[in-house]
Amino acid sequence: MRSHDKIVILALVLLFLGACNDTNQKKVTYITSGAISEYQLQYRNDQQEMVNLKVNPESASDKWKFEFMADQGEIVYISGNYKDIQSSLLIQILVDGKVYKQGNSQADTIKYLTVSGVVPYN
Amino acid sequence: MHSLLYLPILIFLLISDLACAQTTYLSGVVRSSGNNQPIAHVEIMNVQNDASTLTDHKGLFSIPVKENSVTVLILRHLGYETDTLNINKIPNEPLEVFLHEKVSKLTEVEVFGDANQNSTLLKTEITRIDLEKTPFQDIGSYLRTEPNMGGIRKGAMGIDPVIRGFKYSQLNVQINGGTKIEGGCPNRMDPATAHVDISDLQKITIYKGPYALKYGPNFGGLIRLVTNELSFNESYETHLNMMVGGQTNYQGYKSRLNVAGGNKLLAYSLSTNWNKYGDYSSGNGETMQGSSNNYSLKGQLGIQPVAGQKFYVGYDRSWGKNIDFPTLPMDERNDNTEIYDFSYLGTGFGEVVHFIRAHIYNSDVNHEMDNKSRPFSDTVVAISNIHAINTGGRFAINFDLGKGVLEAGSGFERISKDGTRSKTMIMQPNMPVLFENLWNNSLVNNLGIFAEYQYKTSRFDWIASARLDINQGNSDPMTRYSMKGDTIFMDANTKSNYTNLSLSAGATWHINDHQNLAVSVGKGVRSPDITERFITLLPVGYDNYDYLGNPQLKPEANHELDLNWTYTNSRLGNLTTGIFFSFVTDYISAVMVPTSEVKPQTKGVLGVKRFINIDQAYLTGFEINYVTPAQKFWDAAFSAAYTTGINPKATRYLIESGQVTGEETINNDPLPEIPPLEANLAFYVHLLKNQLSPGAKLRMVAAQNQVSKAYYEKTSPAFTTLELVVTYHYSDQVTLYGGVSNLFNTNYYEHLNRRVVGSLSPYMEPGRICYLNLIINL
Repeated sequence: MRSHDKIVILALVLLFLGACNDTNQKKVTYITSGAISEYQLQYRNDQQEMVNLKVNPESASDKWKFEFMADQGEIVYISGNYKDIQSSLLIQILVDGKVYKQGNSQADTIKYLTVSGVVPYN
Repeated sequence: MHSLLYLPILIFLLISDLACAQTTYLSGVVRSSGNNQPIAHVEIMNVQNDASTLTDHKGLFSIPVKENSVTVLILRHLGYETDTLNINKIPNEPLEVFLHEKVSKLTEVEVFGDANQNSTLLKTEITRIDLEKTPFQDIGSYLRTEPNMGGIRKGAMGIDPVIRGFKYSQLNVQINGGTKIEGGCPNRMDPATAHVDISDLQKITIYKGPYALKYGPNFGGLIRLVTNELSFNESYETHLNMMVGGQTNYQGYKSRLNVAGGNKLLAYSLSTNWNKYGDYSSGNGETMQGSSNNYSLKGQLGIQPVAGQKFYVGYDRSWGKNIDFPTLPMDERNDNTEIYDFSYLGTGFGEVVHFIRAHIYNSDVNHEMDNKSRPFSDTVVAISNIHAINTGGRFAINFDLGKGVLEAGSGFERISKDGTRSKTMIMQPNMPVLFENLWNNSLVNNLGIFAEYQYKTSRFDWIASARLDINQGNSDPMTRYSMKGDTIFMDANTKSNYTNLSLSAGATWHINDHQNLAVSVGKGVRSPDITERFITLLPVGYDNYDYLGNPQLKPEANHELDLNWTYTNSRLGNLTTGIFFSFVTDYISAVMVPTSEVKPQTKGVLGVKRFINIDQAYLTGFEINYVTPAQKFWDAAFSAAYTTGINPKATRYLIESGQVTGEETINNDPLPEIPPLEANLAFYVHLLKNQLSPGAKLRMVAAQNQVSKAYYEKTSPAFTTLELVVTYHYSDQVTLYGGVSNLFNTNYYEHLNRRVVGSLSPYMEPGRICYLNLIINL
């Protein structure tokens, strides 16, 4: 093989590798807690679909959790509402294990507690 | 494994192979025997070792030669007779070589660039070597260092060029013989220059003024970028070009790999680029957002089935990711641009037809922007997706008419733009999404015919050109609806038709062997661009208003006069001075629309402005360039330039507590976004027989106090920066360019840098940067 042919092959390999691009995903975790009775949740999942769910906790320390991998810049959203005036709700969104956003409400049966944002870029 | 990790290995292998090479450099200058002017782009080949180089814009060259043996240099240029030099002993002084102009009155015959040697055209050429020496990651960054050029800076990339105060669509930017790109962002975060990697450039040619009409509608200036690297060879050859550059501050790297080769029948070229930069520190240590990530792939193929008949096809794909634009409401998230082109150059049709040239292209830009890195995204996540297509072509025949050269032809361009913005209300139940049309299938077509005639005598060069453009635009109705579906704005009268005649003429008087005097007059007419016609309630201006397009605008016309005097002396150097006066009629500006007619739709803006024509505006200025003659150990260059622009009758809106409360007329208001007086001084020393060339570049920019009151433009302070540079030719194949820019860590910003959104602070320039670029040519 002639030397310039080697150069071409090597260069083509580099060109091919240059075309590759890896994505940088992050682990998103939704956590709800603090409620003593049934509450309604709506959240955006890893397929960017809205999911409606009823949660029945046994005590205020019961945690509901949902984890998924998301691209940077993806919208994360979770909203909850309870009808028991004695209840409360804490909603957290964690990104790579660290609290990214959170909110809480007490004895507010009317307003939805919404925590949302976008998965931050590095 | 990331591809770039292979590069150091490859570089090490190559350098270890080359380390034994011993090189001496022969330097000199090439001038025209007719007028003593330096000649750029003379191809110089050393027969002995196959080394070759091109002269730079000062006619200077440096080429590796073997000591103690006869050196044979061949000098070739399209407009000059080929010359062969036999050198028995390497001289201590730089060579001075004179080439004779070809008897036939050649005009350009390059396929992609241009070799137009008419001295009346106000032409500046920037070579690949000029670009390789810099740390810049953006074409606009380089262009704003040229005399009387500036750049509007909004973010990490995409600095929008300004020539003598003309900007945006007042300039014609094209690639490889006519390919044009329509950027996606309404706020021009991606002007045409942003879609071309600076490392791919072989040459930039800049024509100031409305004179070079054969390349397309030309209002205030023309920028021609050449990225083509195809060359046909007598026997099969393969060449490899690699570049790796890195820098401190603005931390990042640029890298490039190109393989090109071919024989008499076929030529090919494959390239890839990868550039990544982070945020940077300004002179006072403040962190400025400036991250960017770009990569590209490019392939070109040329076929020459018979001598004189060349066909070329090219494909260029580039991507931009996560590019910060802190002065705009959004950042660039993704850009995906594809360019296809086909070119033909035919010669050898007999004595009358000198050459036939054809070029067709399609550029396709998919541009995504969002506000996800902004505080506003806590409540509303806005994402804009724009699809912009530019399709066109050019056909020209060049006739040799004995005493002169006539080139005539036709050009076509079709721009289409469509796109939407989604607004997701992420704090509202069910996350409602509002979709808005940013462009409504907007379309602009331009068909032009042109003719240019050049005539030369021993004392005079004459040139005259004319261009007729028929321009037509339309769009679906310009609309904006509320969340509930109510109509906020609608304009269904979107058709526009224009017929524009542009004319130019000029002459250069070769007064004697040392002096030339050139006069040019021209009228360049441009139709309103797609933004000026169809934008719907977006803050795209310099000031803080939502803007409305106006399909009923009239074309804008630039009537310009240029006067240039050059003095060339092999002992004293070259001095070029020029002044210009530009009188613009139907100048496109904007006036406020009453809120009873339409309410602004962007948070925080003061109101809505609609594009209109105002009677007139004028711009004037000067340029001075001086280059020392090629010395043994050193050379130097000095340039200074200034432009001022005036709107004789401007309207200023009075603002109190964020509300417009009235208006007043301001006489002789300076036009906004004009760069201030600037002077540059460069000094280089040549050591070790030109292997090592350290130098220094001093840039002195005056304060800009001539600011538009109507646009509430802010003044900007003067600044001075010093850059140390060094070039080291290690061997025939390996060259290192390095330096320290902004050596004293000056905290400064350019007058044309926009303000950071949400603050009154300007977007500061980087502080001290140490950089190193390694170039390998095999």
